[in-house]
Amino acid sequence: MLRESMQTEGKQVDVAGVTRGFDGNVGIPHAAELVEFTEAVVLRDAARTGAARRELLSVLGAAGFADACAVAAAFHGFVRIADAIGIPHFTAANAPDLSALRAQAGINDFYRARGEA
Amino acid sequence: MPALSFAGSDFSVRGDLVEAHARAWAAIAAPGTWLDGARRVAVAAEIRKARDCPHCARIKAALSPNGVPGAHESLGELGAAEIELIHRVVGDPGRLSEKWSQSVLALGLADGEYVEIVGIVAMVMMLDTFTRGLGTRDTPLPAPVAGEPTRHRPAGARKKAAWLPLTEPEDATEADGPMYPNPKAGYIYRGLSLVPQSLRDYWALANCHYLPGPVIYRFDQSISELRALERPQVEIIAARVSAMHQCVY
Repeated sequence: MLRESMQTEGKQVDVAGVTRGFDGNVGIPHAAELVEFTEAVVLRDAARTGAARRELLSVLGAAGFADACAVAAAFHGFVRIADAIGIPHFTAANAPDLSALRAQAGINDFYRARGEA
Repeated sequence: MPALSFAGSDFSVRGDLVEAHARAWAAIAAPGTWLDGARRVAVAAEIRKARDCPHCARIKAALSPNGVPGAHESLGELGAAEIELIHRVVGDPGRLSEKWSQSVLALGLADGEYVEIVGIVAMVMMLDTFTRGLGTRDTPLPAPVAGEPTRHRPAGARKKAAWLPLTEPEDATEADGPMYPNPKAGYIYRGLSLVPQSLRDYWALANCHYLPGPVIYRFDQSISELRALERPQVEIIAARVSAMHQCVY
């Protein structure tokens, strides 16, 4: 989904950043602030979240910040449905080159992809 | 889009999102398909308890999630199967397995109960993560609503593609109520389809948080009228959250 959204704008993205973390030159406005906030929320790090919230607010404004919170929260739900129900992942995102994409992104190192599940 | 103040927050939030949260909590408090309102609210309370469970932290830190000695720290309102399901789905969802899911069912939980509880976990995690992101307190749990569960099991539900039965779009019947926006809905959409009401409750909330269903795969369509973010900004958040949870989907 990230790659598709970038390609629509004529841009490329290094999908390895999905697992490794993104640097500030990913080609998305305020990516560094978005990623820092996202990681802090996932890790439930209150101090880091507070600092990241202030940074994100300063660059996005209140409406953008609230929408960023909403998206981060949404995927705390999606991942739990996918992983608790064990839905098949070989058709995810309708990507025709899913196998290569997963390798590039480092997703093949995940527990379920390694076949340990 | 009109904005409303969010309880306990200094921020104005899209009005549809504020309303979606109110509807979601009301749905959690109401009798469900297999669980009554009191049990559903007890599940919500246990979800919050699980966030700080020391045993869950040990499982999360272990190289393998299986066989970690100890017991979950729980509120004591629910049975062993429910507590194991809630705690593992909250604490380490990326390292679940079909074998584990079958072990939970073998503890005495019906598959419909399992799916309904997963739906509540997904909703409460979304609701509470949003308020944590905003920097506000958890929304107080609602009072349960009296009444009987509907006990509706879709006639077309089958265990085939996933660990739990799904009701594929072609197998859904009128008795199941509206479920799918289109017959090609992805597996993430079908995940809760053994319990159609849970599917509807979840997606009513999720579409307000992420994107409306018809827009999700329309990358050529601007979302500027819907969100105060650009589409790649939405997707970089989504991708990073998913990866940090080791979600392969």
